[in-house]
Amino acid sequence: MSLLAVSNLTKRYRRGGKAVAAADDVSFHIDPGETLALAGPSGSGKSTIARLVLRLIEPDAGRIAFEGEDFMALGGAALRARRARLQMVFQDPLAAFNPRATVARVLDDPLRIHRIASRSERPRQIAALLERVGLTADLAPRAIHEISGGQRQRVAIARAIATKPSLIVLDEAVSALDVSVRGQILDLLLDLQRQERIAYLFISHDLGIVRAIAHRVILLDAGRIAEAGDARAVIDAPRSVIGKALVAAAPRLDRSRS
Amino acid sequence: MSALHRFLRTPEADAGALLLAALFAMALSAPLLFPGDPQAIAGPALLPPFQDWSLPLGTDRLGRDVLAELFHGARTSLAVGLAAAAAALAIGAVIGTLAGFAGGFIDEVLMRITDAFQTVPAFLLALAFVSVVGPSLGVVVAAIALGTWTGPARVARAEVLSIRERDYVASARAVGMHPLEIAFREVLPNALPPVLALSSVIVAAAILTEAALSFLGLGDPNRVTWGGMIAEGRAVLRTAPFLSIVPGIALVLTVLGVYLTGEGIVETTAVRRGLS
Repeated sequence: MSLLAVSNLTKRYRRGGKAVAAADDVSFHIDPGETLALAGPSGSGKSTIARLVLRLIEPDAGRIAFEGEDFMALGGAALRARRARLQMVFQDPLAAFNPRATVARVLDDPLRIHRIASRSERPRQIAALLERVGLTADLAPRAIHEISGGQRQRVAIARAIATKPSLIVLDEAVSALDVSVRGQILDLLLDLQRQERIAYLFISHDLGIVRAIAHRVILLDAGRIAEAGDARAVIDAPRSVIGKALVAAAPRLDRSRS
Repeated sequence: MSALHRFLRTPEADAGALLLAALFAMALSAPLLFPGDPQAIAGPALLPPFQDWSLPLGTDRLGRDVLAELFHGARTSLAVGLAAAAAALAIGAVIGTLAGFAGGFIDEVLMRITDAFQTVPAFLLALAFVSVVGPSLGVVVAAIALGTWTGPARVARAEVLSIRERDYVASARAVGMHPLEIAFREVLPNALPPVLALSSVIVAAAILTEAALSFLGLGDPNRVTWGGMIAEGRAVLRTAPFLSIVPGIALVLTVLGVYLTGEGIVETTAVRRGLS
């Protein structure tokens, strides 16, 4: 049975009196420990789908089943409790944290809310989480705006794994980082996936990264699924128009100068 | 350069801080310099200022020491001004945050209530409230707060509307935080700075409203207030104008001091924003 099954998901926005579909009859599934990539040009509905899956926004139509349970039927306290299993990492690691927060407070929240550790145990858990993502425990009292972008994204990942989720939505999680840091963060993500069998919904516009880390890929165009399949197969030989355009637009090192 | 340093380099801030410091010094030293009841008779009635140096500002119709009343009146003005502003900011920030964060029906209801309060002139509202409940310091504070919380509420709501769309609010929801905790722990503290910028205007307005209420005889009768002193002097305005002029000047300088300090703080923070 798949971990997450999304069927016929639809979300429309009104823009200038005209309805624009950000997600139009989108169906997909993710298996435990698998990485599914959502790729497409900007405005194709990638981030909308990420937020729909997390129920940060509500769909107009469609069903979401998560861990064998109807995720759309949950509300209030039951939904908040289930959120422990389904986490998210945002694109901009600075915008994703309260500007007044410290590293310790950010990591304290999930441990406190989901009663994972008692008050006296939490500092030790926070230190362990920081070490798990390759940081040192002495970072805990620092303010979020004082640490580097790469460190921030590691803290965001630590926050996401604090509740031991089975699925993490990564919304352009490495796009805002510079190239050397990006590689380290991707290694960390792959390492976590191997050890804890976490599934990823990996949202990216960068087909190079998608090909490197995703098992399967879905290419989106204007809210519709244009093409889906094995990540390498799709990117090496796209059949859809948008797939061809995306592959052609991706920068490649071996492209000869004309 | 530290924020305090920048603050002190703004001329209006200097002037304002000086006036406020003098006012605070007056309020704090009143029980030391003028122990005993400031409303007790201290000398002959209607003694003009600068005649008798044991009563430098003279006496009023009943022979009470004007300087002692002035010092004790500073305590009332400051206490009422600060307490009313604090209450108005607290009520406004909470209502504005709830309205902006909840949205929909709750927002609609809270904002219509805000409209209702804003339609009634703040002073009339305070007047009616004190007339009904009866004059005491706490009631005066509540009455002033009742008419001034709407400004902070609107500013807080506008700020919250933009903050609630930020990623860190979405991430707090994704973590499973309770909506009330998100509103008051994640959103409200970040919405506060523009609300606090209103505080100087509100403190100044509160001091003036308190004086006006006292002038109309609706202040706390057991406390000396500048408004009450002006009202007292009104009866002998032709023969002893100093009785109204002295507390009048104190009132003007206080409100000026509060405004200038607020102006200086806004200036200081604006410079900091410009640099970053």
